[in-house]
Amino acid sequence: MIDRMPANRIVPLVARQGLRGPYWLLSFRHPQIAREARAGQFVMIKAGTSADPPLRRPFSIMATDPGEETFTLFIKDVGQGSHALSALDVGEVAQCLGPLGHHFSAPPRGTEALLIAGGYGVAPFRLFLDELKRDGGRGRLFYGGRSSKDLPLLDHMSALGAPVVPATEDGSAGEKGRVTRPLEGWLDQETGPARLYACGPEPMLEAVAHLAEARGLEAEVSLDPWMGCGVGTCLGCVVRVQDAGDERAGYRCACTVGPVFDAARVRWPGEDVSRARRAASGVEA
Amino acid sequence: MNLAVEVAGLRFKNPLIAASGTFGYGIEYEDILDLSRLGGLVSKGLYMEPRDGNPVPRIAETPSGLLNAIGLQGIGIKAFVRDVAPRVARHDTVHIVNVCGDTVEEYAEVARVCDGVPGIHGLEINISCPNVKKGGIAFGGDPRMTHDVVAAVRKATRLPVIPKLSPNVTDIALLARAAEEGGADALSCINTLLGLAIDVETRRPKLAYGTGGLSGPAIRPVAVRMAWQAAQAVGIPVIGIGGISSANDALEFLIAGCPAVQIGTANFVDPGVHERILADLESWLERQGLDDIRDVVGSLELPGSSDADDCGTEACE
Repeated sequence: MIDRMPANRIVPLVARQGLRGPYWLLSFRHPQIAREARAGQFVMIKAGTSADPPLRRPFSIMATDPGEETFTLFIKDVGQGSHALSALDVGEVAQCLGPLGHHFSAPPRGTEALLIAGGYGVAPFRLFLDELKRDGGRGRLFYGGRSSKDLPLLDHMSALGAPVVPATEDGSAGEKGRVTRPLEGWLDQETGPARLYACGPEPMLEAVAHLAEARGLEAEVSLDPWMGCGVGTCLGCVVRVQDAGDERAGYRCACTVGPVFDAARVRWPGEDVSRARRAASGVEA
Repeated sequence: MNLAVEVAGLRFKNPLIAASGTFGYGIEYEDILDLSRLGGLVSKGLYMEPRDGNPVPRIAETPSGLLNAIGLQGIGIKAFVRDVAPRVARHDTVHIVNVCGDTVEEYAEVARVCDGVPGIHGLEINISCPNVKKGGIAFGGDPRMTHDVVAAVRKATRLPVIPKLSPNVTDIALLARAAEEGGADALSCINTLLGLAIDVETRRPKLAYGTGGLSGPAIRPVAVRMAWQAAQAVGIPVIGIGGISSANDALEFLIAGCPAVQIGTANFVDPGVHERILADLESWLERQGLDDIRDVVGSLELPGSSDADDCGTEACE
């Protein structure tokens, strides 16, 4: 008998917390998801069974509590799917599939994990910082957005113990400018070995990928294209990936091959070949 | 209670088949589902060679629907036969390969490669994909081409041949007859409806390809009507497809004359949907005092159906 992941997990909402603006923290109960989920993995989840909207939505798993058998999602109420979720009352249930996808890999011992979050993309880094703490690793979060309104988890993340460096484009919180600025400032210092991990808007991920290449660092990025199924069958969420041995880039599902990718394997919109391919074929960037 | 049906010489243990493009190659669900509970499954469309498919975004949600322009990304039939067919063969269900081609010859060639491969029980001929420049709807929109593609595939294989028809035509009965005359054993009706969704901020199509194929509950009444028209027009069985996500939805197609149905977009919403539909189908039969699903097929009662001239469509002629 194969131990199958149930196609559908009914998860009751056990806690909801409204944050500033359209943001919510929703905690659901499910022992397996709470026990097994790793930072960077996600669930496909939907409130109710209405045909409109039809699809489940992918959300990064932000935190887990195996003791309480709960997992927490960071929701921005922006459309029908997220609105229906954020409108759930405690005790009501959602339809859920997960944990899905590949998680961030742990940094080698002695290597500092530099986490770069763009706005809403901060979600998986709460769980990542928890994992680092548990395993005795070191992490530092660079948390950027357009304004302080886009950093609703700033206090939450700052309370975890790891250094948190905010940056906003309008200067309303932290350093003024893009989040890659304080990151570069940090890397310019004598810092020892580091690996980059990024989650946020694609232009930010691309900037982090280029920065990593320029400085000879490894980087992992979590990509977030529109997903239909979450299990690799609809082929809606594909990303252009080119490994060192691939003559040309091919489409890979973000839901099953990602959502976390080695940034060097991704062929970014402005590139002809990926960094991995460039390195293998000896072509200069 | 009997739920088994026979279509195109194939025995399905129940009338629920996973639709092409919504179930991968089946093996993606091995760890999640018991595939032997399915009546059957149809693979993602396959050409001779691997295909990249279209740029992203490829999918957009619409009211009760899903618009897609995946563009038939796939591993190609040779990789399927080598790597996938032996794995799907381990699951006791009917496996149908969805056959694609840029040319009549390519359709026939893919069919030839499938002939005699363990784990491939039938062929669905994709002459209705709206998201590729060649093949697809370019063939399925024309009765002559439909006939020729089906006839070429028919000659190339001993497997049951099931053309999948497009709703993007004026008279599906005409295409259904052309496919039947070409040697089809059954028909799949329908593929997606051609649609366009626009982002009003950028004034661009929401999909990179531009137009896309609409599926999901939004299209069901259109699908039931067209499957019914096709079933009226031909003597071969018609497999109903379009927006099924409940037992009642499936029953609409069965009552309209389809001995089996395919479940598509609903698989994305809930990969276990067929289990729920199966259980609900059984309770429905019980409530109706029936013990054979086949007694439901084609039981549609049309008001004034004794006067067939008056039902308002050519299919009733």
